[in-house]
Amino acid sequence: MRPEALSLATLLLALGLNGVPVNAQSNESSSSTAATQHDSNPPGQATTSKSPAQENAARDAEIPVENSRIRWHLGTISVGAGYSSGPYYGPYGFYPYGPYGIYPGDWVYSSLWYPMWGRYPYYGLGSFNYNSGRGEVRLTADPKLAEVYIDGAYAGTADRLKSMWLDPGAYDLTVSAKDRESFHQRVYVLSGKFLKITAKLGSEGTKDKL
Amino acid sequence: MSRRIAWAAFVVCSAALAVAGPKGTVPRATVERYTVHRVREGVGVGVVLLSREQVRKTFVSDLDRCCVVAEVALYPAKDKALEVSLNDFALRVGGSDTATKPASAKLVATSLQRKAGSGRDITVSPSVGVGYESAGYDPVTGGRTAGGMTRSAGVMVGVGGSGPKAGSTDKDRAAIEIELSEKGLPEGSTSAPVSGYVYFPLVSRKKGAPLQMEYILNGNRVVLNLPQ
Repeated sequence: MRPEALSLATLLLALGLNGVPVNAQSNESSSSTAATQHDSNPPGQATTSKSPAQENAARDAEIPVENSRIRWHLGTISVGAGYSSGPYYGPYGFYPYGPYGIYPGDWVYSSLWYPMWGRYPYYGLGSFNYNSGRGEVRLTADPKLAEVYIDGAYAGTADRLKSMWLDPGAYDLTVSAKDRESFHQRVYVLSGKFLKITAKLGSEGTKDKL
Repeated sequence: MSRRIAWAAFVVCSAALAVAGPKGTVPRATVERYTVHRVREGVGVGVVLLSREQVRKTFVSDLDRCCVVAEVALYPAKDKALEVSLNDFALRVGGSDTATKPASAKLVATSLQRKAGSGRDITVSPSVGVGYESAGYDPVTGGRTAGGMTRSAGVMVGVGGSGPKAGSTDKDRAAIEIELSEKGLPEGSTSAPVSGYVYFPLVSRKKGAPLQMEYILNGNRVVLNLPQ
């Protein structure tokens, strides 16, 4: 016998064994009910004599099992999902895509990833994920660990944002790093199109000379 | 009370100006820096006609599919304000009686959205196969068959696609409109040099036919011959 067939047979056997007590219980239940009906002789008929303990046991046995059991019912299960297209102002300022991005799970992840002393406002995880209605911004920055801001909100470091998918629209892109001159660019995104941006941040010294 | 209203109006206006941001492009140092330029009544007009390739590089939207784009710069006369209006510009094919006026950003955006949505997506997938068959038995006759090379070729053609086409959504139209209006020549009164792009609907012309841009300055026509 093939191993797959053997394991399937084992599984069916296990299921069958699990089913036995259930059926037995129901059989027992039905048989006890039948016994009860059988025992309830019409008045005037002779009955067998029982001790008090036996009578109590018999009375207990007469109580239908179904009545004494707590029945649990599963109520309506509600599942909700929300999406905020923004932009709007929240308690920490401007949120281009809503406070926690567009994914329902972002609230949890964002609160874990971004500590309270982090940059606000910020984009939650998944904010730049691919979507057929979005356009791609391919960013190359020097230095690679430069901070990227979109519409004033912190998006992450440049090395992790080589490919960003954004909804169609106009954005203010800022790339900045310590002791470097910031890079600003107005970016226009259209669905299904990609835009390549190279941000080379000059040193502060260069800025002064200019 | 009136002071409060005036103060509120001032705040609203300041906020509106702050949100509006800069428009157009940065004018070159002098009008002479433009390929084509004229100076009349102290007002300088400079024009650069963008090639299709330049249009593709400058704009995210497919503006080259619908428009002729020119960068226009205006240098007002000293100590005199100049009223800039797109209505004062026109593009004419040399020798032709008809001229086209610039299109607004909204109109161009709507036109591009419609064009993006109307196109058909056709996917062509060619396939080529080469194989080798060793000697075997013919399933029909039962006799032995000789082996050899097998070759196959085919083309799969798919028409249409699922979902909205690239650049055809309302969000795209809004984005195109923002881009065109932000890069467009700013209208209104100015006493400082201004420059920006002006979008003319594509005009049908013979290959090599010259283009002329006309600018109406205080009722007088200034003609600028654009190079090919």
